[in-house]
Amino acid sequence: MSRYDPLLSRTDERPDVSLRWDRDRPVAARRGDTVSLALLDAGALETSRSAKYRRPRGAFCLRGDCGTCLVRIDGLPNRRACTTVVRDGLQVQPQNRLVSGPDPSALIDTMMRGDMDHHHFMVRPRVVNQIMQGVARNLTGLGTLPDRAEPDAPARHEEHHPDVLVVGAGLAGRAAVEVLRAAGREVLWIDRLDRAGLVAQNDDDGLDGLCDQTGVFGVYPPERLWAAVTERPGEGAVLRSIAPRHVVVATGARDPTIPLPNNDRPGVVSARGLVEQLRRSGARLRAPAVVIGAGAHAQALARALDRPCIDPAAVERIEGSPVEAVRMRDGSACEARLVALAAPPAPAYELVRQAGASVRWDGHGFAIVRDQAGRCALGPWTVWAAGDVCGHQGLAAGDDGRRVAQALLAASSSSSALSPTP
Amino acid sequence: MSRRSFVCRCEDVTRSELEHAIELGLTDVEELKRYTGLGTGPCQGKECMSVLVSLLVDRGLADPGTVQPFTARPPTEPVTLGALASAAPRATQTKPQTRPQSKPQSGGTR
Ligand code: FES
Repeated sequence: MSRYDPLLSRTDERPDVSLRWDRDRPVAARRGDTVSLALLDAGALETSRSAKYRRPRGAFCLRGDCGTCLVRIDGLPNRRACTTVVRDGLQVQPQNRLVSGPDPSALIDTMMRGDMDHHHFMVRPRVVNQIMQGVARNLTGLGTLPDRAEPDAPARHEEHHPDVLVVGAGLAGRAAVEVLRAAGREVLWIDRLDRAGLVAQNDDDGLDGLCDQTGVFGVYPPERLWAAVTERPGEGAVLRSIAPRHVVVATGARDPTIPLPNNDRPGVVSARGLVEQLRRSGARLRAPAVVIGAGAHAQALARALDRPCIDPAAVERIEGSPVEAVRMRDGSACEARLVALAAPPAPAYELVRQAGASVRWDGHGFAIVRDQAGRCALGPWTVWAAGDVCGHQGLAAGDDGRRVAQALLAASSSSSALSPTP
Repeated sequence: MSRRSFVCRCEDVTRSELEHAIELGLTDVEELKRYTGLGTGPCQGKECMSVLVSLLVDRGLADPGTVQPFTARPPTEPVTLGALASAAPRATQTKPQTRPQSKPQSGGTR
């Protein structure tokens, strides 16, 4: 297969839009694809250079968590390719590289056999330090300034005072919203992904009334505020100041890397992210690929991708850039144009912790600590946690969301009888 | 190309860099973050935190019962300065001040 052979095959319609990759290369896509999926399909896996060793990089998690897919889109730097939907004529440009083609800064990676210890590397003599600083400052950093000052339209600000804020529209979030709405509670329901991404995760059911593409970026207990931003293509951003009475956090879990040699190569992606992106676009893998992971979670993803599953302990290293093969400890090799990592998901705990919840190590990540009912933080609000954010639960997350929402209803009806409404 | 195993891709922190830091006696999450820069890139630790702590727990350097992540501060999702500015309270969006007519000046008034 040549470098730009398509890695996927489409099960339904033919491509109907086209984006421009790296100035002049047309990349065919289907309406609704993400930029990452379209680039992956086209075998354009390398989208940036890394900060220190200047290694080629491309999308990894494919679900908006890791930040390695950042590219320049329509003149704006640092846009996530994996959550940006393709539009016809979209200009997508790699970022953080010096020149197109072979990048001389890649020599840093090749020449430097060991680690770069920035506490001592080229610090003395002083003149060497000054030269190094001058070079390093220009090499590192994220993207370059935007072409224009104003994105699509000016941003707006909206304030919300919902009875219940539900963050997350996975299984737990959906189940919780259903219970709360059935009890007549006023719910503001948000998720950072777009509807098509959520449908690819867990089908189409029960997403009515969801405010999608809305990510909570901070929780500020002293100000009694959950701050979120809605960004939709072609519309101005909406900043949302949310002052809820109750919050159900169902932010799920995300896919960590597996620290194997060359686990950063373009073409190494998260297995779950890949499955979801393929589902979203009605595409199938055509290229040789392997899943690396152990246990039922990894096996299930390997079945979904219809590719072999390899135990990380058996892997010697990943080869090629973009990837070409996985070399095994026994000396054999598996051909692979995509390597899908399937580590056990780690809870997305950051927001709830900002709201005052505690976390504990669960063996794979930090899970939210909650009481039997599901409460995890008190303060200007009551915060409840449900689903994978309390430790990966898979399909059981829906039941958990339902149970926590019922506990919220029970607790708030009795407490509102006792305490006056603010 | 050289073989490196990355724990934090945003800041290019490899497993062997962490091992080097551990040899220097820096063995907890906060110290390793400060020494290597791990977790300080665009994802703010979302990808690397669990990998780092697994490594520490496996080596007996962290107690699984008490180990804690470093503080996750806002923004946990990307937000533009333009969006943040839209929330500026009206009181601070002051009108340009009217200058006294009697003192016409060309430049230098800032
Ligand atoms: S954030 Fe886009 S690939 Fe991880």
